[in-house]
Amino acid sequence: MKNIKLTFVAFLSLTLLTVTSCKKDELEEAGTDIVESATSGSLKINLNHKWGMSNALDLVLNSEMIHPMTEDTLTFTTFKYYVSNFKLKKEDGSYWVHPESYFLVDLSNTASLELDFSDIPAGLYTDLEFTLGVDSARNVDGAQTGALSVSNDMFWSWNSGYIMLKAEGTSPNSANNTFVFHLGGFSGENNIVTEKSLSLLTTPLTIVSTKTAAIHLEVNPAKLWHSSPSVSVTNKIHMPGSAAKDMATSFYSSGSSFMVHSVE
Amino acid sequence: MKIFFYTISISILLFSCKKKDVKIKEYVDTWGFEKPSHFPEPDYKFENNELSKQKFELGRFLFYDPILSLDSTVSCATCHAQEHAFADHNVPLSQGVGGTFGTRNSPALSNLAWYPNFMWDGGINHIETLSVAPITNMLEMKESVSNVMVKLNNSPFYLEKFKEAFEVDYITDDLMLKSLAQFMAMLVSSNSKYDNYLKGEVEFTSSELNGYQLFQQKCITCHTEPLTTDFSYRNNGLDSVFSDQGRALITLLEEDKGKFKVPSLRNVAQTYPYMHDGRFFTLDAVLDFYSTGIIDRNTTDELVRGGFNFSSSQKSDLKAFLKTLTDYYLIGDPAFSPPER
Repeated sequence: MKNIKLTFVAFLSLTLLTVTSCKKDELEEAGTDIVESATSGSLKINLNHKWGMSNALDLVLNSEMIHPMTEDTLTFTTFKYYVSNFKLKKEDGSYWVHPESYFLVDLSNTASLELDFSDIPAGLYTDLEFTLGVDSARNVDGAQTGALSVSNDMFWSWNSGYIMLKAEGTSPNSANNTFVFHLGGFSGENNIVTEKSLSLLTTPLTIVSTKTAAIHLEVNPAKLWHSSPSVSVTNKIHMPGSAAKDMATSFYSSGSSFMVHSVE
Repeated sequence: MKIFFYTISISILLFSCKKKDVKIKEYVDTWGFEKPSHFPEPDYKFENNELSKQKFELGRFLFYDPILSLDSTVSCATCHAQEHAFADHNVPLSQGVGGTFGTRNSPALSNLAWYPNFMWDGGINHIETLSVAPITNMLEMKESVSNVMVKLNNSPFYLEKFKEAFEVDYITDDLMLKSLAQFMAMLVSSNSKYDNYLKGEVEFTSSELNGYQLFQQKCITCHTEPLTTDFSYRNNGLDSVFSDQGRALITLLEEDKGKFKVPSLRNVAQTYPYMHDGRFFTLDAVLDFYSTGIIDRNTTDELVRGGFNFSSSQKSDLKAFLKTLTDYYLIGDPAFSPPER
């Protein structure tokens, strides 16, 4: 008798356990679905490249630009650089993080001057954070896709790592009439990867599902030469090192290199 | 009664969680990357590049295909030939598109999955991005990666192969690089007489044994067993003036001038000529150099300074040992030979 009772109890508990554990999974699945369909919206960030003091001029390819400090006459034929890891800080201090966030901004490709983001939870945002360059992990991680693909000619084949900024062109001030600046470096003293944080407090960003918001940034690459010599002294940088670091950080780190012009 | 209850419980268990997928375990054949038992753990673990026979075969086609070069005259195999243990055809410097000579001796490709970085100066940090270098080098294949992709996407053969391997309709460069990486990583050299000796499967002749013991006394700090390299950068006293700065080109450090990566000695008897510029054509020449030819300078590695002054019988024994590093399985395996379309 006892045996049958025990067996029956065991059998019943087992049945209940399996039946209820399955039900739980079903409930959990349903729960996740509900959370994902909350209100969200889109954002586009427009990059407008300027030049000179007070961003008075536009940076245009294949056009003579005079540098206010070095007084070099520079005609850019190429200007491209990576921006990555975009984040938005909400008024409550929480973050929305853009997944797989890598963009190659290329002045010869107008489409690349608008960065698109979607599925941002609706609300009020007070800060825009992003990284200039490519984080070190991606520099050692093998073959990448999209903006980080080696086909973009922004990867040193002989000294593994991303060319994070490429500025090339001609200048009568350069000894060989050209300038070629390939800036990169992701480890130790050579690291140029820089995190930026732009406040949106004076121009708060509201994300709603009914319209695409916009942030207009002004970028001033003239800052590259703020602590670097004229092209008559240095017309070429082609690997990580102190020259690359000086040039990149004066552009990346300066508060006025990337500024919020307006928010819609 | 008991049996009845047990049967019911088991049946309920089996049929209760219907929502969960029950995957039928497919028969998996034994092809794959096998770490030899006497080797350390490999550096490359195929993490974002799951190993498959189709991807390996695709990598093999690409390795042997001159389509990667500007004028379709140079393939990887042109300078990395299986019969020479995936080194060049016994020339000091290789010739690329148009016959231009490269600057360094073509290394023998084997055991690459264990390498933390690649090339004589260690400038390349990942087996997947490795191929970009020879493809884009003006002295080698003289091509651009984007142009290779145009060629591959215009090839019905490759479109089909990539679809099979990666389930894509359009070929991107990361997939090409990953296929090549899979082929290269599979070139494992671990079946030489030396390996079989280590596993206790064969015996050395007395000359080979003498040579091995001498090797262990004098050479293994740099030519660490069983891979026969410690992957460090050393100046082994070849020159007093460095026309090739070696590792210093990457680190920009003064003390790294003239330092090159310790090469693997696997298949060394097949991969002459030797050193970063292929200056020594015979093992005799190398052993003579290490005996009495070392140039002592401040940066010459202290492990070789002064030379080893080997006697002729020692040289003979060392040579006998070095020949045991030849792996006929790697050199002869049809799995790594030119594929048939």
